[in-house]
Formats: sequence, C-alpha cells, structure tokens
Amino acid sequence: MAVRLVAVALCGLAAVWFGIRVFRTRSMVRSALALLFAMAALGGLFLALEAEFLGVLQLMMMATEMAVMAIFMVMYMMDPGGLGQMEMTHQKRLARGAGALGGLGAAALAVGLALGGGWGPISAAAPSPAAQNHDLGIELMERSMMIFETAGVTILVAMVAATAVALGRRR
Amino acid sequence: MNAVWMGLAWLAGIYLLAVIEEWGASGRFRPTVPLLAGLAHLGRESLVPRRPDRLLFEAAPPLLLVAALLAAAVLPLAPGLIVVDLATGALFVNAALVYVAVALVMAGWGPDAAYAMVAGWRFLGQLVAYAMLIVMPLTAVAMRAASLSTTAIVASQAALPNALAQPLGFVLFALAAQATCFLPPFDAPVAPGELAGGVLGEYTGVRLAVVRLARLALVLTLATAVAVFYLGGWLGPVLPPAAWTATKALAVAAAMLVAGRFVPRLRGEHTLA
Repeated sequence: MAVRLVAVALCGLAAVWFGIRVFRTRSMVRSALALLFAMAALGGLFLALEAEFLGVLQLMMMATEMAVMAIFMVMYMMDPGGLGQMEMTHQKRLARGAGALGGLGAAALAVGLALGGGWGPISAAAPSPAAQNHDLGIELMERSMMIFETAGVTILVAMVAATAVALGRRR
Repeated sequence: MNAVWMGLAWLAGIYLLAVIEEWGASGRFRPTVPLLAGLAHLGRESLVPRRPDRLLFEAAPPLLLVAALLAAAVLPLAPGLIVVDLATGALFVNAALVYVAVALVMAGWGPDAAYAMVAGWRFLGQLVAYAMLIVMPLTAVAMRAASLSTTAIVASQAALPNALAQPLGFVLFALAAQATCFLPPFDAPVAPGELAGGVLGEYTGVRLAVVRLARLALVLTLATAVAVFYLGGWLGPVLPPAAWTATKALAVAAAMLVAGRFVPRLRGEHTLA
C-alpha cells in the first residue's frame, strides 16, 4: 500500500512538473515532448492504481498522438522546423483567471473532503487485470456498442472526407 | 530470478545478432569483432555538438534502449520464463515500441544538426504509418487467443501457428517490425550514403555504443515478438521450450538483418505517391 502511494505521488508530481514545462519553454519540440511525458506520467498513475488496460492504452495512444501533433505543429506553425524562439502561452489574462478559479475549486474540494470525511470507503481489492480486460470488452460489445460504433463511423467518414479534399486540391 | 535469466538470454542473443550483422556486412565470420568494436567505442572520445539541446541529446539513446527492453519484458521465452506476465501484454508491446519513435525524434532534434533533424522527422512520418501495422494485426491474434496476455497467445497456437492461420497479418506485422527497427529497405531515417548517418550521425563514442546496442536489442525484441505472436513461441517437438523460442527469434532476426540487403530503399516519394 505504501509503495503504491509513493508511486501514485511520484507519477502525479511528474505529470504536474511536465505540465508546467510545456509552457515554460520556447521550443515547440520541447513543449510537445513535455506534454507527452506529462501524459505518460498519467499512464504510470493508472498503472499504479491497478487500472492496467487504461494505463497501457494511455502510454500507447499519447506517445503516438503527441508525436503526430509535434510533426503537424512543426509543419504548419510559423516556426520552421521548430527551431525558432516561440512564446508558448497566449490569452494570459483569461488563463490567469481560469487558473485562479481552478485552484480555488481544488482548495474547496480538499477542505470539503477534510471536513466531510474523505472519499468514502476504499474497495478492498481491484478485479484482476484479466478480469478488467474481459469486463471492458463485454461493456464495449454490449451496452456501449452503439456509442462506440457511431463514434467510429463518424471518425472514418471524417478521415475519408479529409483525404478526398486533399486529393482534390492537388489536381 | 526470471529477470536475471531473461537478461542473460537477451545479452547472449544481442551478441549473436551483432556477430550475424557483421558477418552479413563483411562476408567473414568473425565472432570477436562486436566485442572489440564495443570496446573501441568506449575508448573513443564522445563528441558533443556545438549547440545541442543537451537534455534530449543525452536522453535519446537510453530511451531507445529502455523502449526495446520494456517491450521484451512481456515476451515469454518458455512457460513461466517471462519478466512480467501482463494481462495486457500484447498491447504493452506496442505501447513500448511507440517510444522508439519518440527516442529517434529526440535524437534527431538534440544535436542541432540539419541532417539529424531531417532524419528524425522522416522516421516519425514513416513510423506513424507503420505503428498502426504493429497494433492492428495483433488485434486479430488477440481475438484468436481471446486474451491480450502473451503467454495465452502462444498457448492458443498449439493446433496451428498464427503465421498459417493469419498469413496476411503475419506478413504485415513482419513488414512493420522491419520498419520499426529502421532496417533496410525502411532505413530512410539513418540512410547511409544519403543523410550522413541521419539521426545517428552526431553520436560518437560511448553514446554511439548505447545507440547501436539499443538498435540490436530492438531487432531482437521485434524478432521475438514475431516468434511469439505468429510462429508459436515455445511450441515445438523434442527441444526444450526456451530453445524453440530462441531458435525462432534468432532465425527471424537473421532474416530481418539480411533480407533488406536485396531490396532498394523505400524513399519518401514512394510512400507519398
């Protein structure tokens, strides 16, 4: 239990630290990689919380996504190759306000939890990872099937449409 | 204890691969060359470019090695001989391998050199395509085994190996494996004779030794993955189970190292046409 608590704390702190690094740099590539490692730290957090499938999926999807994001950022932004010095923050006043609100909310939640007696009872044991995978598969293929199929078809249509538009322009 | 045995097996496998690679390159069988070359790397000066992104430059070679070894940790050599038997093992292999692309982008970016950077982005562009081919055939393999666990996947091939049951998946996965370890004909990212070494061009001395070790580990990991997912892993008559996995993995790895020599390099414009 103590080991898990330390792992959760370390992963959480790493996620926050890399999250800060995303904006405290002037290199687009460093920013994208910092975001990737923040997400990977979240994946580690899931693993530490015994949500194995979620953790592995997070580690995998985020690495691909952030790498793709980096290549598109470098391709389309006014920063050739990501070599220039570029400010990573924008809409500062709005961001400060939102940050202050979020901080207040988190503090209120912490105080409320301290006064109200925490999150409630902790479940004794998580289901085994194999059972989790099985349950997740049953959930996806039964109750949530329509939602996922609709989302899948929508994304496929978007991909085909984007490819068609790109091909049309070239000719 | 398993981890120690697996580590020793992996070291031996990597050394054998280095001998095979040297054999293929020079045409002569010289089993001491990898050892001497490794020692020579350690003795040489490890240059740092003039204005590197130091953090990324230093972190890339170890990250490449870690990605290869993490993927290897969930591949079984024999029943019970596995470092971690994750219930989500097949997916974890892919999750670890995606960090190969991250490491190479970091290696391309780190030294602040034009050739390396071009090569790094090139590899990413290539891998975005082939990373899908690593994971999609594995979904079919997992469906046959009704499990994502690598040991269950091997056990599911008792009647018929997946290479025969799913030949298309086998071919696609083998091609994607070749592309993931940027071996010819998918070696545009390092492109000998074109990009002056590409991502590896700025690495010298001990750092280059780590990169080359990592690449061989990657080849061995992917060859073992092919053996486990498609060739029935430890299943086979007479020989002990670990010997079967090792034989299959080494045969696949040797084929990966040699086959690309007979095919012209796949260039960017081929894939964009």
